[in-house]
Amino acid sequence: MEKAHAQKKKIQKPMGDRIFDTINAVIWVIILAVILYPLWLILIASVSDPDAVIAGEVLFWPKDFSLMGYEAVFDNDELIRSYLNAIIYTVFGTLLSVVVTMMAAYSLSRKFSGKKFVNFYFVFTMFFNGGLIPQFLMVRDLGLMDTVLLMIIINCVSVWNLMVARTYISMNIPNDLYEAAAIDGASHFTYFLRVVLPLSGMIIAVLCVYYGVARWNDYFTALVYIRDRAKLPLQTILREILATLTATNSDSFFSAYADDIKGMTEAVRKAEVAKYCCIVISTGPAVILYIFMQKYFVKGVMIGSLKG
Amino acid sequence: MKTSAASAKRIRTGAGARKSLGVRFVDAVKRDWQLYILLLPAMFFVFLFCYLPLYGIQIAFRDYKAVLGITGSEWVGLKNFTDFFSAYYFQRLITNTFLLNLYNLLWSFPIPIIMAILLNQFTRPRVKKITQTVIYIPHFISTVVMAGMLYLFLSPTNGIINTLITALGGESIYFMVEPEWFRTLFITTDIWQHAGWNTILYIATLTGIDPGLYEAATIDGATKLQKIRHIEIPHLIPIAVMMLILNCGSLLASNTDKALLMQTSGNMATSDIIGVYVYQMGLGKAQFSYTTAIGLMTNVINFVMIIAVNWIAKRLNDTSLF
Repeated sequence: MEKAHAQKKKIQKPMGDRIFDTINAVIWVIILAVILYPLWLILIASVSDPDAVIAGEVLFWPKDFSLMGYEAVFDNDELIRSYLNAIIYTVFGTLLSVVVTMMAAYSLSRKFSGKKFVNFYFVFTMFFNGGLIPQFLMVRDLGLMDTVLLMIIINCVSVWNLMVARTYISMNIPNDLYEAAAIDGASHFTYFLRVVLPLSGMIIAVLCVYYGVARWNDYFTALVYIRDRAKLPLQTILREILATLTATNSDSFFSAYADDIKGMTEAVRKAEVAKYCCIVISTGPAVILYIFMQKYFVKGVMIGSLKG
Repeated sequence: MKTSAASAKRIRTGAGARKSLGVRFVDAVKRDWQLYILLLPAMFFVFLFCYLPLYGIQIAFRDYKAVLGITGSEWVGLKNFTDFFSAYYFQRLITNTFLLNLYNLLWSFPIPIIMAILLNQFTRPRVKKITQTVIYIPHFISTVVMAGMLYLFLSPTNGIINTLITALGGESIYFMVEPEWFRTLFITTDIWQHAGWNTILYIATLTGIDPGLYEAATIDGATKLQKIRHIEIPHLIPIAVMMLILNCGSLLASNTDKALLMQTSGNMATSDIIGVYVYQMGLGKAQFSYTTAIGLMTNVINFVMIIAVNWIAKRLNDTSLF
């Protein structure tokens, strides 16, 4: 009797809950619209005619579909070069970061003497650092200014990511496994390569996205350390095009390759749409990568957040 | 196996007494050398980019001249610090940095909690999953693009916001050069970008709640609002308090890269924060000693505050960062 009663209650939602669910749904529709609309707006503006965009007629759907913005972007040698630079810095930087982080994370998940000191050595840097200028002077004195190498190795280890990886390894790979492998004569090296890495697919994916997106999105490092324009990554170039009040900056950027007056006015016209295209081609990869990886994500991030 | 061999050795050599540091060191290296090797690359890079620069901090107390080098430059004591305290913009810099962080904390802190609670009420897991995927997206947009979106959407001539304002009969606003808009825009975009992402911690906490509690509440006839108030909020309070306290530790930290992008000659009155000032004076005007001193000062303040709040959090919650 009682069980049946409880079940009946469960099925029948109280009136208050139905009102609550409706209000909640409305709130979420608004939140999702606020998040998605700006992104949608950029996407449709990037494939619309510049005149329609400037006139503010592109609101919900592309108007006078055209790809001239993308043409302007792909015709621009400097943008393409910076794009390739960003790919190089991101791919090699992320690779190095993930390898170095996983190695250290494995060590930190095991017992060894001096572990307390090593832990402190890493954690201390999360709370205290020399600051911008001492790091700049150090890089300059080491002769690393303006080098591709610097862009790959700088801030290679994020202590936060290291701690997330360490927690993952010590929580998900049972200690017995190591004991068994050690009895079979496996060294730490073979155990790390043959057992830990194959079992850490998820955390490696999370690290790749964390490190990769951070590098791809970073404009400041190159602003400080790179003088040679040919080595600038995409975001630093984008800053000149996007984050500026005066249109002249971005206009001259796109008209630099025009040969005559007509070509220049056309380039300036295109520049307005080309800005949206820049956003699409720069943000697209990061967002797509995230959406593909996201099933690994929530769990990986939760491990990190619970630790913190 | 190895450990037992080591302990057998200890009995032989030490005869019950503690072994000397040297012997223990050799033992440790013999046993764990592979672990040390695996640690080395990470320790090397951290040394290079975090510890080596600490050596350069001394120029905060010197009058750094490039030709003389770091150690060759003359000692000047606290001159660089007193210069900053008496600088024309000192008060403005401190106030701007502090207020930007304070307002940002007050607005950005509660929103993820509310979002997490509301998200937790979804009855269909698929809808919840899709919603979660969407609200994390803005986190992956770069700061440059975020600032670029502001410049595009808020443009006084053809930005969508001003087009709307003028269509409704209003006067178009030049958002990016008005000082009173800087903080609002900075914080709003921070929330837009990161509030969704910051729900993760709270969602994780809510998922950890014992389902038995909900069942018991349902049987007692509790509504969703009552469950939120009596089950979910009490579960979130400890972690929320922790986050709040920890965030207080960085009230003088600077989000330099974003502020630098949003700063225009018009909005300097509010957008001039310590980090941007250090960047501009240090790298733009090569005042290395002066800006190192400013950096050091804010670093020390931040460090002390983090230690303090961590201590408080420990007292309150029995959890800490260390």
